[in-house]
Amino acid sequence: MISAIISLYSPNYVNVIAYMLQNSEYRVGSYLKWFWRTQNFSNVIRRGTLKKTTPAVALVFGLWLGIILEIAIGLGFIWAWHSRNFTGGWEFGVALIIAYPVIMAHLVVVPLLLGRWLVINPRNYLRVQAAERVFIDHKAVKIAVAGSYGKTTMKELLATVLGEGKNVAATPANKNVGVSHAIFAKNLSGKEDILIIEYGEGAPGDVARFARLTHPSRGVITGVAPAHLDKYKTLEAAGQDIFSLADYLHGKHVYVNDESPAAQAFIKDKYHRYSAAGALGWKVSGIKLAVSTTKFKLSKGKKTLDLSSKLLGRHQVGSLAFAAALGLELGLSREQVTAGIDKTVPFEHRMQPYSLNGAWIIDDTYNGNLEGIRAGTQLLTSLPARRKIYVTPGLVDQGKENQSVHREIGELIAAASPDLVILMQNSVTKYIQAGLNSGKYQGELIIESHPLAFYTNLSEFVAKGDLVMLQNDWPDQYV
Amino acid sequence: MAVVFGSRSTEHDVSIVTAIAAIIKPLELSQKYEVVPVYISKDGCWYSDPLLKDISLFSSGKIDAFLSKQRPVALQFDDGLIILKPGLKNQKIKIDIVFPATHGTHGEDGELMAICEMANVAYVGCDVRSSVIAMDKVLAKQIAEANGIITPKYVSFSRTDFEFDQTHWLNFIEKTLSYPLFVKPAHLGSSIGINRVTNKQELKNAVEVAILYDDKSLVEEAVANLTEVTLPILGNEKLEPALLEEPILHSEDFFDFDTKYLRGGKKGKAQGAKHGSQGYSKVPADLPKDLYKKAETTGLAVYKALGCGGTARVDMLINRKTNVVYFNEVNPLPGSLYSHNWNKAGISNVELVVKLVDLGLQRFASTSALTSTFDTNFLQQF
Repeated sequence: MISAIISLYSPNYVNVIAYMLQNSEYRVGSYLKWFWRTQNFSNVIRRGTLKKTTPAVALVFGLWLGIILEIAIGLGFIWAWHSRNFTGGWEFGVALIIAYPVIMAHLVVVPLLLGRWLVINPRNYLRVQAAERVFIDHKAVKIAVAGSYGKTTMKELLATVLGEGKNVAATPANKNVGVSHAIFAKNLSGKEDILIIEYGEGAPGDVARFARLTHPSRGVITGVAPAHLDKYKTLEAAGQDIFSLADYLHGKHVYVNDESPAAQAFIKDKYHRYSAAGALGWKVSGIKLAVSTTKFKLSKGKKTLDLSSKLLGRHQVGSLAFAAALGLELGLSREQVTAGIDKTVPFEHRMQPYSLNGAWIIDDTYNGNLEGIRAGTQLLTSLPARRKIYVTPGLVDQGKENQSVHREIGELIAAASPDLVILMQNSVTKYIQAGLNSGKYQGELIIESHPLAFYTNLSEFVAKGDLVMLQNDWPDQYV
Repeated sequence: MAVVFGSRSTEHDVSIVTAIAAIIKPLELSQKYEVVPVYISKDGCWYSDPLLKDISLFSSGKIDAFLSKQRPVALQFDDGLIILKPGLKNQKIKIDIVFPATHGTHGEDGELMAICEMANVAYVGCDVRSSVIAMDKVLAKQIAEANGIITPKYVSFSRTDFEFDQTHWLNFIEKTLSYPLFVKPAHLGSSIGINRVTNKQELKNAVEVAILYDDKSLVEEAVANLTEVTLPILGNEKLEPALLEEPILHSEDFFDFDTKYLRGGKKGKAQGAKHGSQGYSKVPADLPKDLYKKAETTGLAVYKALGCGGTARVDMLINRKTNVVYFNEVNPLPGSLYSHNWNKAGISNVELVVKLVDLGLQRFASTSALTSTFDTNFLQQF
């Protein structure tokens, strides 16, 4: 209790407030929820540090200025009480000085809200309006990519493969909401053959809204899994939103990942399914998995392609096969498709392998859903290693399904039988442990209370022959 | 867990790196132990403070200013080892196990282990007896020879003996051994004070250097067609070898202090080499399978013969024409625990220190079970 109160007056308190805002992406609601949930502000910054961006530096400066002003005003009231007999001046002045951490933590959102309401929202509205016209007029094949998981990888995959023979533009990184689409549209030359647009759903109605803005002619649905359930509430609601892309396209040129169990309920006959068995009439055979490559054969009649990708895991084969088949359908030669697949590499922090101290680390820390965990644990099972280590904090934003999802994660990990499981300690750890128990996990379990120390000193924990699967991220705003 | 480092030794600075980077850091990351750093300064005072875990305190040169504000700690042997930190209110830190991280004299040579034995506290690594033997190159050779292990032909003498009759000793060495020769102080590690000589004048100069460092010296024949290898080993009874490691050297050179610790490559010639014992050696050594096995077997035999425990590193010399493997010396506390080699053998830094602690505890449990007192009526007769 005492250390919690002291933390409010620590010199680092201002940095903590700026850090909370920065990690909440300056969203006032989630920042205030985090603020009021926090009991000790000295324990907030555990995984990262405040990035010295212009807004962050301005915030820190503004907060300090505000604190100084507030204390000065408080002292002014005390002075007025003392020398001018200003009634209540002493009490009010002292209260003002004591309460500065709480008052400034709330006052800081005022310029953010004003900026959002008066500048950002109107500007975004105008941008979106202008972007819709660009999308309508553009003659390119417009491919929308939606799904609870794997959409960034699919977008990059399609851009790489189709880029071998076509002029392709794709939304950058994980910029996948309306305003990002608008900025993307603004930067188009008009000469592109293919546009690939990622839809980052976050709340009911998002995907339908993105479709109305970007007017896609084809749609890829990478799967449905529990994600953003704090907003969607149910998996069905998330699936309905994602499949509103198929509704927009009236079922024409809709491609769905057939390996997604939760997507099955939404798939209609006229949709095209793709999987590790094949895509668009092409059949997959001879899958070979390794720690840095995935190889397979794609054939249709007498036509055969031997494909090799640096994307890892059996779960990637369906996406790779689909990208290859779509490339052929859109007019690429077999050589171009083979070269394109050969160039596909993992996106940063998505099943990205690297060597450390002689060990292989597979960094999948950007994964945020159960299907990704299923794929990661399956990959861990399929690859040989002297010692297998699985590391996760669990998944955020699982809403009402939180307990059952994490229990299933524990069971999936247990089924992969790693030698060592390291769980980053938080509110879901006990559920994962319950899943490990019900899955009869026999290996060693470590509960890590200092995630940052673990991740930054990973080289101290591994040696030659180790295979480490790092999955998921647990930002500091979650408990 | 007290990690003791520094000490009055020529390898004082190497010890700081071993303690902080190779021992304290992985120990703390393991989250199994509460680590208490205990630093012995060059003047022999003992200090303990959490800030002594920070390497920058030493690398920045601020250590002297820091120590000037500290009061040395005292040791108490009441039911184990207690560190007494003086202050407004004296603080007592009960130590369950000591991790010695001192290299060379006044530490690695058995003195620190003897303190632990007196205090009846568990400690990591070689025990008093094996540390004393390992740190005396002459004694180690004598024990190895008694166990049928081949070692290069040598002559040893004390400083007093040499100073009493230099001519006799120089003539005796020339008569007994053939050039080129290596002159070594008997008790120092990290190749300090070692010189290779090819004539009488060089021999005289080298011996004069050696006796500056030590009261006992050793002159031995160089091995021709040399491949030098070293083998880190873990274990008390059941031994676990790491990988044979081969320094990348020219045939006329040897591992000196600079090569090992300062330049990361052969006397600064290596470009882009790493610091410390990485980047200048081949792991595993590039040897034919039979010869590799022979050297590994010799290393394990030496470790057993000398009674090592916990960990040690056995250095060997191989004549590549005759394939004879010679025992050279044993290092009972390899610099930085030779963790780079263990990493390649599949043991991480965290696993390594945890294993070493477990081995130390096992030995303590085993020796604690021995009877150390004996009831007699001897005194009643007086």
